[in-house]
Amino acid sequence: PKTTEKDLKKAKALEIKGSDQAYETDGALRWKDDLQQKASEVFLKHQQAAPNLRKHVYGTVSSQGAGQGEEAELGGLFRVSRPEKSKTNLADAADCSRFHPDSLHNWDLEEMLHSIADCFVTGKWEEWQDAATLLKQDE
Amino acid sequence: MTSHGLEYEGCNFFRQRLVLSTLSGKRVRIKGIRSRDDNPGLRDFEASFIRLLDKVTNGTKIEINQTGTVLFYQPGLLLGGTIEHDCNPQRSIGYYLEGLLMLAAFMKTPLKATLKGVTNDPTDPSVDLLKTTALPLLKQFGIDGDGLEMKVVKRGMAPGGGGEVIFSCPIRRTLRPVQLTEPGKIKRIRGIAYSVRVSPQMANRIVDSARSVINKFIPDIYIYTDHLKGANSGKSPGFGLVLAAETQKGFFLSAELSSAPQGQGPTILPEDLGKNCAKLLLEEIHRGGCVDSTNQSLALLFMTLGQQDVSKVLLGPLSPHTVEFLRHIRDFFQIMFKMEAKPPLEDERKGGEKVLMTCVGVGFSNISKVTK
Repeated sequence: PKTTEKDLKKAKALEIKGSDQAYETDGALRWKDDLQQKASEVFLKHQQAAPNLRKHVYGTVSSQGAGQGEEAELGGLFRVSRPEKSKTNLADAADCSRFHPDSLHNWDLEEMLHSIADCFVTGKWEEWQDAATLLKQDE
Repeated sequence: MTSHGLEYEGCNFFRQRLVLSTLSGKRVRIKGIRSRDDNPGLRDFEASFIRLLDKVTNGTKIEINQTGTVLFYQPGLLLGGTIEHDCNPQRSIGYYLEGLLMLAAFMKTPLKATLKGVTNDPTDPSVDLLKTTALPLLKQFGIDGDGLEMKVVKRGMAPGGGGEVIFSCPIRRTLRPVQLTEPGKIKRIRGIAYSVRVSPQMANRIVDSARSVINKFIPDIYIYTDHLKGANSGKSPGFGLVLAAETQKGFFLSAELSSAPQGQGPTILPEDLGKNCAKLLLEEIHRGGCVDSTNQSLALLFMTLGQQDVSKVLLGPLSPHTVEFLRHIRDFFQIMFKMEAKPPLEDERKGGEKVLMTCVGVGFSNISKVTK
């Protein structure tokens, strides 16, 4: 979350800068208009994506029960049989173990490549494992 | 908890329900299977999976209603032995193997299964992927030895199939609890680029483009090319790539991509397939953990069935399939995991948030295993 806060500030700064220049190039800087809003949306989304894990897995799903009572009746006789999109989607979706996240990272960016650099033996090692520091200690 | 045992709705998570039912001995009733669909009821591949379970067990009772929307399953005893099964080509053999991998160690006699059907398709984990990732995971829990083998005899791409796979697995009385908390660093990347009924040059083009992406990280990369011909190449053309990153501690993170089945979906250039697959591998490394996203459920199941001791496994973000699996484990075995989120440290460049899963095993023991 720390980086997103930074992003927020950055977005704010950008917006202020953008409004200064907007006098000269009106329209061209449209994309900057809702930068702050976009940034805060991303921030909130990130917050919601990481709730208490235990609650997420084992918690009671109350939204499902709420949806059941809302079945519309026509003239008190007929029940509208409309497939509830979200419910049927989950219960009758394909049974597959593959993990398809909503969005993938952009691996063409240098920063993204940077973010996993230490997962490899070629990356930076922890101090107690690092060959250079271990050698130094031996001397 | 009526006389029907556990009750569920819908066709999703079909395999985990039946597998957990078989292991726990609890009966299960699944209703409302595609009941709102234009074509309601069980599909052929699900029926094929049930028949496979019936083959490896004895005394299994299965009742399906006329429309196929309600299934009652009363598990029998796991028997094992040598079996042969024609896996319905709507799903690849990986779909069936994932179920067998969960059950194989608890048979009465060691399982030797010959499975025929589709070896690679874009939906399910392929046989090659399970071979490189699931088998090492089994070894972590003490299921190893000469008898553990998975072999692609004939490759068969979707939709035609015509492939053949041999899977054999030794049996164990109990599973060993594990402490897989430190993944270690990735020391090498291996892969298989396969092609059947297309130019053998396809595989080489895949290899080159995949290398161009991952070469920035590590020099130790070797991607085998596997071009099967004639009777061993199945009925449909296609190509694909499986990549696996191995850490110093012997853990595997994997990714794969397969060309769309002939006549379905857009065609993809082998160069794009190679690049995209390499990026999927980077995504998987970013998720990280000691077990990759495909095998999360398998690891969690073996932790649950372990001896009555603490097991810990570090995982990447839990996939929706895994989250549901955890709920099912609670239903069938009354085990709840402790989950600790491990956000990445400020100056660490090791990808995203990880989750440390902890549980005490139920002390499952394979009573039908013959002692010599």
